[in-house]
Amino acid sequence: MKKTMKATAAAALFSFAAATSAIADGHAWAPEGPIKMMIAFAAGGGADTHARLIAEDIEASLGWEVIPEQVTGKGGVNALVALKDMPADGSAIALVVTESLGYNAAAAKGAGVSPSDFTGLTTTAGFQMGVVAKADKGWTSFEDMIVAAKGGELRFGTMSPKLSDLAFLLGEAQGVEFNIVQVRGGRAVMDGVEAGDMDLGFMAGIQGKGVASGDLVNLASALSGPLKQTPDAPTFADLGVQFSADGYFVFVAPAGMDDAARDAITAAIAEATNSGKASGMINKAFGGAVNIQGAELDALLQSDFDSAGQLMEAVQ
Amino acid sequence: MGVWDHVIAGVLAVFQSDPVLGVPITILMVLGGFLLGITVGATPGLAGPMAMAISLPILISVFGYSNDALLPVLGFLIGIMKGATIGGAVPAILFNTPGTPDAYMTTLDGYPMAQKGEAKRALRVAHFSSASGDTFSDIVLVLCAPFLAILVESYLDLPEKTALLILSLAFIASVIGNSVGKGLISMGLGLLAAMVATGEDFYPRLTLGQPALAEGIPIAAAILGVLILGEVFKALEDIHHNGVFSSAAQTVRQDAKVGTLGLRKLLPYIGRSAVIGTCIGALPGVGSTLAATLGYTSAKRRHTKEKEPGAPDFGEGAPEGIAATEAANSSVSGANLIPVLSLGIPGNAAAVFLILAMDSIGGFNPGPSVFQLGGGISAGALNPEMVMAFGIFTTMFVANGLNWTIGGMFMRSVGVMARIPKERLLPIVLLLTLTAIYVQETSMVAVWITLFFGFVGYAMRRIDMSPLPFVIAFILGGNLEATARQAFAATGADPFFLFNSPIALAFIALAVAVVIFSLRKPAS
Repeated sequence: MKKTMKATAAAALFSFAAATSAIADGHAWAPEGPIKMMIAFAAGGGADTHARLIAEDIEASLGWEVIPEQVTGKGGVNALVALKDMPADGSAIALVVTESLGYNAAAAKGAGVSPSDFTGLTTTAGFQMGVVAKADKGWTSFEDMIVAAKGGELRFGTMSPKLSDLAFLLGEAQGVEFNIVQVRGGRAVMDGVEAGDMDLGFMAGIQGKGVASGDLVNLASALSGPLKQTPDAPTFADLGVQFSADGYFVFVAPAGMDDAARDAITAAIAEATNSGKASGMINKAFGGAVNIQGAELDALLQSDFDSAGQLMEAVQ
Repeated sequence: MGVWDHVIAGVLAVFQSDPVLGVPITILMVLGGFLLGITVGATPGLAGPMAMAISLPILISVFGYSNDALLPVLGFLIGIMKGATIGGAVPAILFNTPGTPDAYMTTLDGYPMAQKGEAKRALRVAHFSSASGDTFSDIVLVLCAPFLAILVESYLDLPEKTALLILSLAFIASVIGNSVGKGLISMGLGLLAAMVATGEDFYPRLTLGQPALAEGIPIAAAILGVLILGEVFKALEDIHHNGVFSSAAQTVRQDAKVGTLGLRKLLPYIGRSAVIGTCIGALPGVGSTLAATLGYTSAKRRHTKEKEPGAPDFGEGAPEGIAATEAANSSVSGANLIPVLSLGIPGNAAAVFLILAMDSIGGFNPGPSVFQLGGGISAGALNPEMVMAFGIFTTMFVANGLNWTIGGMFMRSVGVMARIPKERLLPIVLLLTLTAIYVQETSMVAVWITLFFGFVGYAMRRIDMSPLPFVIAFILGGNLEATARQAFAATGADPFFLFNSPIALAFIALAVAVVIFSLRKPAS
């Protein structure tokens, strides 16, 4: 408790400092009207909640009016298509995942979106993508699960085509066949695992509380590195899969955005992810904020888009 | 965290919502909705769902999409839903014109009573029975919905859930309206509309290459178009053909003498009708009109056997007739939230708009996960959706309280609404609906889509096809496809996944049986 108090105090101090420095700048950009924040995720899930909290935090600290709106479907591609032709004056932004601009944009050829159509603002948090099962399955390690999978088909919940591909490759590498059930959103995977509709599934951080309380188990890390919460779990590379589910939630705006607007909105979002209500939620659900911005973000988005084809080929 | 923590948190969410003029906003909204509902119910030509449809986009534009918006908005809609049911009795008793279809049976005894100078007594009987039926139904809802949801989640696997959805759709298509065939066609069209641009593929299907359709048909546009505009177009045409309606405005002899209610005699009728209405409300797709009819007929049978000599027969001004009808049609409103909250399946038009509100605002996804303790995150945390569910229950009881206290008083003062001529009312409804759509979707395309579905709804009414199966199928379509897809994948791509477990097989057999059984029933 004391620790959280300290953290909150530090965060408050930080935000105060950031706010005053913004005012001190004197030429702070501000939107002319409300900012439309499109959220590419189902209402009520972790991604949606953190976006809405960020919107609230920005309203509270800067007085900008931010209107969240759900534009779901097609793994974020619908939101990207909707955003693409909006004015690039800061009046419209969208929260998607890096995968939306990578694998999904590459797979949805008809939609005609690519990273060059957008201005990347900042990532908010990385996925703590684990392969998760309910503790009362009795599996304490990845091997236990594979033994069970050899005895009978297991249902593997995923929330995107890319993750379905990864689940397939994981099964192939381990010599088992999963029944891959693709649902909408990480919350749906967790509900499915909790309710017994699925035996295991990908969860991108939403499993944090459950793992901490011992209800859920991280069997493996689907990332290129270990999970923060369960560092001992094997990574996908350890398990013979060449690809990973590394990814981030990312805010984007239409291409051709003015630098002052880009910097101001980026700073506002980044600040919200590190202070206030959004920060608390991000710490709990996604293991802390990750703010990749500017040129670094541009490069990340482009390379994800370019490498999407390799994964699709591997699955063929 | 146990169930009680959720109950308390839910109640507090209502009573500790931001106060406006010293009253928590949610309670104020329930009150507003309730008064509007009575007024609308008392106006022939308007119905509760219509008022809910028009209010929803306006409410959303006022309250926004935050989690705090959910309870005030739902409170308002629930207020309308409950108010409209009791309001419908007013013109039925005073002017022999039912304000809502389910109040038709009330005219049979209400109007003769009014003619005999017992209008006030009739209104009081209607109010008392309505409020009792409503309260009973809400209690059943609170006791059953969580239990049923948990039962569903623990016994039904993905194939069984798919089969249950198919069964609900079959049931809805068969019971609503006069013709099973038309019901099935209506349902099929709804599923077709739901298929546009959805699905797992990255390519939006069935959009004919129209970018405007790439996100699918806006749910509010389709529903308001079919339900409201269709009705308005049809009514305008009727007025055009039949000349201007003279709204029924016979003067009624009002008697100051109210007389005793004779509660002891009425209670058995109320109790029986409340049970009938609650059972019917819990079945998806069977509306309050059928409940009212069944309540009335069963009471009539009992009355002919047991009435005291000299008491009026049913149809000649028996208060028991009003009591039976009003208790039955009011007890539907609570129970029809049982399938909404536990399965995400709307039972009637009013429930459609509650689901639409939850869907538009977000943060609450009706279905079995609502009542999971811990909300799946961990055993130690409150499940926000369950808190919200108990918040919704609280608003229903607040509406109940209003019904008992000020409902009767307000009800007796809105009789004047029945005199508004339809030809003035309908253009206003048309304008309000289109404005409401534009406010919510902020695009002209949505308005065109609404008009298109308005004509679909008009055509359906012209050929005597109920639009309700269309609407419910449209809402459930996405869910049905997703569940079926998941069930197929989860069973290792087994094409016979619907027939492999006894429960799923039983549901499918029932679905077929309900269609065949309804086909054999002589058309009424």
